[in-house]
Amino acid sequence: MRISKNILVTMIVLLLAVFLVASEGLAQKIGFDDKEIRIGSWSPQTGPAAPWGATSRGVKLLFDIINEEGGIHGRQLRLFIRDDQYNPSQTMAAVRDLVDRQGVLAFVGGVGTAPALAVKQYLAQNKIPLVSVMTGAENIHVPHNPWLWGTWPLYDDDASVMAKFVVQKLKAKKIGMLYQNDDYGLDPLAAVQRRLKTYNMELAIAVPVEPIERDLSSQISRLKAAGCDVVIGYVAPTQAAIALRSAVSVDFRPQWIHSYNLTDFVLMNKITDGLWAKEGVMTSAFTDDIFDYSLPNMKKYADTAKRLAPDERWGIFYAAGIVAAEPLVHALKQAGRDLSTEALVRELNKMDNFKGIGPRVSWSAKNHLPPKEFSVWKCGPKGEVIVVQGWTVNDMPKKR
Amino acid sequence: MDMKRAYYEDIELFKSGTIVFWTIVFLAVLVTFPLYMSNYYLYLFSLMMVYVIVSVGLNILVGSTGQISLGHAGFFAIGAYGTVMLMTSLNLPFFVAIIAAAFIAAFFGFVLGLPALRLEGPYLTIATLAFGLAIMHIIGHTEIFGGRQGLVAPAFDIGVPQLGWSYILGSMISKYYLVLIFTIVMVLIAINILKTKAGRAFVAIRDSDIAAEVIGINLTMYKTLAFATSAFFAGIGGGLFAFVLGFFDPFTFNLILSVIFIVMIVVGGLGSVMGSISGAILITYLMYDLFKNIGEVPIVGALLVAFSKQFMTITGMDNFNYIAVGLVMIGIMLFEPLGLFGGWIRIKKYWKTWPF
Repeated sequence: MRISKNILVTMIVLLLAVFLVASEGLAQKIGFDDKEIRIGSWSPQTGPAAPWGATSRGVKLLFDIINEEGGIHGRQLRLFIRDDQYNPSQTMAAVRDLVDRQGVLAFVGGVGTAPALAVKQYLAQNKIPLVSVMTGAENIHVPHNPWLWGTWPLYDDDASVMAKFVVQKLKAKKIGMLYQNDDYGLDPLAAVQRRLKTYNMELAIAVPVEPIERDLSSQISRLKAAGCDVVIGYVAPTQAAIALRSAVSVDFRPQWIHSYNLTDFVLMNKITDGLWAKEGVMTSAFTDDIFDYSLPNMKKYADTAKRLAPDERWGIFYAAGIVAAEPLVHALKQAGRDLSTEALVRELNKMDNFKGIGPRVSWSAKNHLPPKEFSVWKCGPKGEVIVVQGWTVNDMPKKR
Repeated sequence: MDMKRAYYEDIELFKSGTIVFWTIVFLAVLVTFPLYMSNYYLYLFSLMMVYVIVSVGLNILVGSTGQISLGHAGFFAIGAYGTVMLMTSLNLPFFVAIIAAAFIAAFFGFVLGLPALRLEGPYLTIATLAFGLAIMHIIGHTEIFGGRQGLVAPAFDIGVPQLGWSYILGSMISKYYLVLIFTIVMVLIAINILKTKAGRAFVAIRDSDIAAEVIGINLTMYKTLAFATSAFFAGIGGGLFAFVLGFFDPFTFNLILSVIFIVMIVVGGLGSVMGSISGAILITYLMYDLFKNIGEVPIVGALLVAFSKQFMTITGMDNFNYIAVGLVMIGIMLFEPLGLFGGWIRIKKYWKTWPF
């Protein structure tokens, strides 16, 4: 066990060198300076959930537009997009990395319930605002978290508006519901039942689907046997496509109306071989019609997207990134040149009926819940959007 | 390589002064780490150490006993859920809860070891794979486990709050030290297990289970014991993971995670504790940190982004990470089938006879 002195000295010197090289500032970095404001965003850019990643790139588009117009009070917006593959442990790594190594003022448009639940406490501890987390699950927002602002509407508000529309406008007699057997489907199911009670109606049938199921013929035959004329759907895009195909194959043609997660008609028509348009499927929606260039800013966004990101498809999830980022940009503009986290929070809390290309957003210090406003779309014969009901606020929100 | 004169020399924990020295240096670096590294690295290192515990345990099963498991994410999940559930519903202190949860995982390991008595190779792989998937879905469908929404870990109290003695680990630094202590203890346990009668029985089973039985090794006992031991390690890892991350849902423990555990020990080197440690560290680093910030590096970043824009999908930079991870794995398997540990042995041999 004898170690020669020379070796010992060399090793200690080496070790000290490692210490010195590796030392890094420990203090949390500030998220902005005179030239730029640093903002973070996480989303799955690779892996099975990758299509959702378009939202973060949509945020990037809006930031690029703002930067081209001269930035916000002389500061450029700089966005850091981190790929978490929809894995909470990766989200945590990405968020800590951005906070520690880059220094970010806020996060915008983080995708997914599980990733957001994993990091929300950490962000609150470090006083970093998370604006527009991309999930409609309730447990992100309840109880109230002062560092988290919602833009993505809650599913039960969505379902409540939808049920009212189905009864009042579609004059449905027998309403069926096809729902995913977890919170994504169960919250809306309860909301639909609550709403129908006010009309002294009941669901004719409610059929659950497991998220991994790929053969929905038994569910469809149950819906058909119940004689539904309208079916409300709370399922994933693939399953909605499978359900539609199986229904048509047994000549069961109710009016389908799906959640706002399925508003990408281009995509839905692709995976249903055009059945989506042929059957005139309806969905609720949380953005303006992104192909209606008469709306303020819409043409500018679409044209800039074509110019700056020519490979990107001008689709709903890409636009959803813009919807998520607009309130943050608005608040940053309001906060003025004298920027600080406190100023940003103050302006976010003052948000009053702010309208971008999404629903109107209102927040206060005690209420950070997402908007409760939706419109209803129908897929026209050419796959185009027909707005069958304009923006409608849920007049019967759940007490929270 | 080293000349051994007695049995006890062979089973010594430290075989030479050099090893003692480097172990101390390594530990000193780990202990002083929080002094000069940011919060992010503490999280990353805690995660690495959690995976080190799991892969060291998995290596006892795969590397030393020659069995296979694609269900370790299941044991990992049992550890995580078990620890948190025992702490919240039964009000147990942390240390009791995590060890109890690890024993629950070990029990499931024992049960899964039973089919291993008759199954081999691909058949055993499928059986364990089914177990891993089943656990994920059972948890996802059970309301008390939080269903698919997952669970938020309670305050990390390592005292005994029931007796009024409470010690809450709030900062990442304190969690890091706790995980470090657990890792050192678990690695020492693993090293020692391999030097006991049981460890030698495991190796005998790996080399030839018929021969092992002939020389009097109870196959039933030692095969199930290998599964249980390995599951115990995964359980401890899971319990720590729950608090390092603070939140988990069933999908966290998916098949990919099981595969990644296997990748860690294969890349690191089957049958060696040092191999599984280095494998776990390398793979975690590749998956969590590599290339994460390269887009912001002045010249290289811009070049890579331009390359990706030209030839790859719109996702951009993130494509590279996947490719790099794959290339590293292929590279190691191609040039060093024994894994990182094999490479280390080669380097050691080379320098021993240098310059001849």
